[in-house]
Amino acid sequence: MTDPILRTEGLTKNFDGVVATNDVSISVPRGELRCIIGPNGAGKSTLFSLLCGMHRADAGRVLLKGEDVTRLLAFRRVRRGIGLTFQTNRAFHRLSVRQNLNAVLQIMRADRPADADERYRFALDRFGLDPDSEMLAKELPHHRLQWLEIAMVLAAGPDVILLDEPTAGMSSDETLQTGTVLKHLNSSGLTIVVVEHDVAFVRDVAQRSTVMHQGPVLAEGTVDEITGHADVRRIYLGQA
Amino acid sequence: MSHLLKLLTGPEDIGRSRWFWATFVAVCVFLFVYPFWLSEFEATNNAYYLLNVPIALGLALLWGYCGILSFGQVAYFGVAGYVYGIVAGNMIGNAAGPIVGSLCGLAICALTAAIFGYFVFYGRVQNWIVPILTLVLTLLFETFLGQTAGYQWRVGNVQLGGYNGMTGIPAFQIGQFVVTGYSFYYYVLIIVVIGYLSLRLLVNSQYGKVMLALREDPIRTELLGYDIRARQLVVFVIAAVLAGISGLLYVQWGNYITPSQVGLLQASLPVIWVAVGGRESLLAVLLSTCARNWLNYTLSSEGYQYALIIIGALLVAVMLFFPDGIIVTLARELPKRGWRALVGLHKGKAG
Repeated sequence: MTDPILRTEGLTKNFDGVVATNDVSISVPRGELRCIIGPNGAGKSTLFSLLCGMHRADAGRVLLKGEDVTRLLAFRRVRRGIGLTFQTNRAFHRLSVRQNLNAVLQIMRADRPADADERYRFALDRFGLDPDSEMLAKELPHHRLQWLEIAMVLAAGPDVILLDEPTAGMSSDETLQTGTVLKHLNSSGLTIVVVEHDVAFVRDVAQRSTVMHQGPVLAEGTVDEITGHADVRRIYLGQA
Repeated sequence: MSHLLKLLTGPEDIGRSRWFWATFVAVCVFLFVYPFWLSEFEATNNAYYLLNVPIALGLALLWGYCGILSFGQVAYFGVAGYVYGIVAGNMIGNAAGPIVGSLCGLAICALTAAIFGYFVFYGRVQNWIVPILTLVLTLLFETFLGQTAGYQWRVGNVQLGGYNGMTGIPAFQIGQFVVTGYSFYYYVLIIVVIGYLSLRLLVNSQYGKVMLALREDPIRTELLGYDIRARQLVVFVIAAVLAGISGLLYVQWGNYITPSQVGLLQASLPVIWVAVGGRESLLAVLLSTCARNWLNYTLSSEGYQYALIIIGALLVAVMLFFPDGIIVTLARELPKRGWRALVGLHKGKAG
């Protein structure tokens, strides 16, 4: 197993006494496409916000490429190679596609991966996004808006991207296309962590999956291992 | 050079066509030539319409392009004006006094804005609180200045003067050449034109593109790798210095300043100029600021007691029908719909 690019140790976060994540320890090897699944309220989005620095953990550590980034601000983590799309699309809706993509290009990290530009151009091409388009982002269909945000994150040249339900609201064709692009990006060496509900999508793209349930990690493994896990079947799939 | 031209004609302000630039050059030439037909008094009045443009452009940059509404711009207007008055007033007889005073005024402006902005932006104060904080700053400054009537409030030879204001502030001077009358008009005009073009370069630069992102969603922008605190602070300081430039021009024009210049009414005026023209366009703000100052001055000097009420009513009408600003809405919609669509503009506005 290669060195983990992203690792957490005992990550815990409370919001006004409500435990959102509890003692979460995960390890994502470089180059893996990992899905994180779990029912609503399992703490998946909170985990992402702790990984990218939007929230500070109450306890535990986040390690990015072996470096402890737990106390680093979000923008410093991004500059160290992490990228994130939100559960609710947060491309700049009132700006044009061109303005959205141009807003990112100033960040040229010194240690960005050699093929970062290639990945970005590939995503633009496969997502059918014209970087010079003056069309307002809010006028894009939903799935292209989701793709635009992914392209924006790729423009920064990350080593690992966190996608929070990237296919929510997409048709099956659009979901399939998203999966194809993500798999290609992953095959070029990009580490991808996806929070997802769509089991078919997870089965299509994930190399390994992590199941979360009300805070801690419940199970981890390939999709077959996960779906065969007794606790997962009982809690997540509602089966005995 | 071609890079500069490309930035100048970039997409982040209205007016990009050859026709626009031909008109822009023609208007500039006209503005440089037409004082030959004016009396010196009229030229000085025209300078007054223009001298508020920098403060308004600064607010357009801060609010329209960066999403931070500030009622504190007049505080920096006042800081620069008072500091200039104190420094230049203490250097009367020294030809370098006004230049030193101007530099000191702008430096103190930048410093106070940097200190205030540091606590606001690095303290991650939420966006909706910033207008309140800046208004409080302004009112505190006015209150402080208002109680400086006593003889003890004297800095060197200059009396702060409380609500009577600071009087006898020297005009601007380069060497032995005192900038008044016609020359003052040209001095203001050059500053306004250079200021506008510089800001146009800024908003079309890569820095400007990130400002737009900041305006739309600061958290998304931070998660693209930008230190949004530093960027907001830089824009805040630029806007404060621009307000300071207006403050300098004002005291050099009228040779006095009073605390009411940094009062509640004055604090709201730049916001109105910017909102009426359209905060997301520098050109719109430039035009609306000149027009509104001309209207106010003309109505007041013609003896209309209700100048402010007339202007207020106009503003309400504009804001009701053109919430994105009248000039921005017209520039956006007219090419699409033609003049006949004018009455329905507010219904079809974008955003």
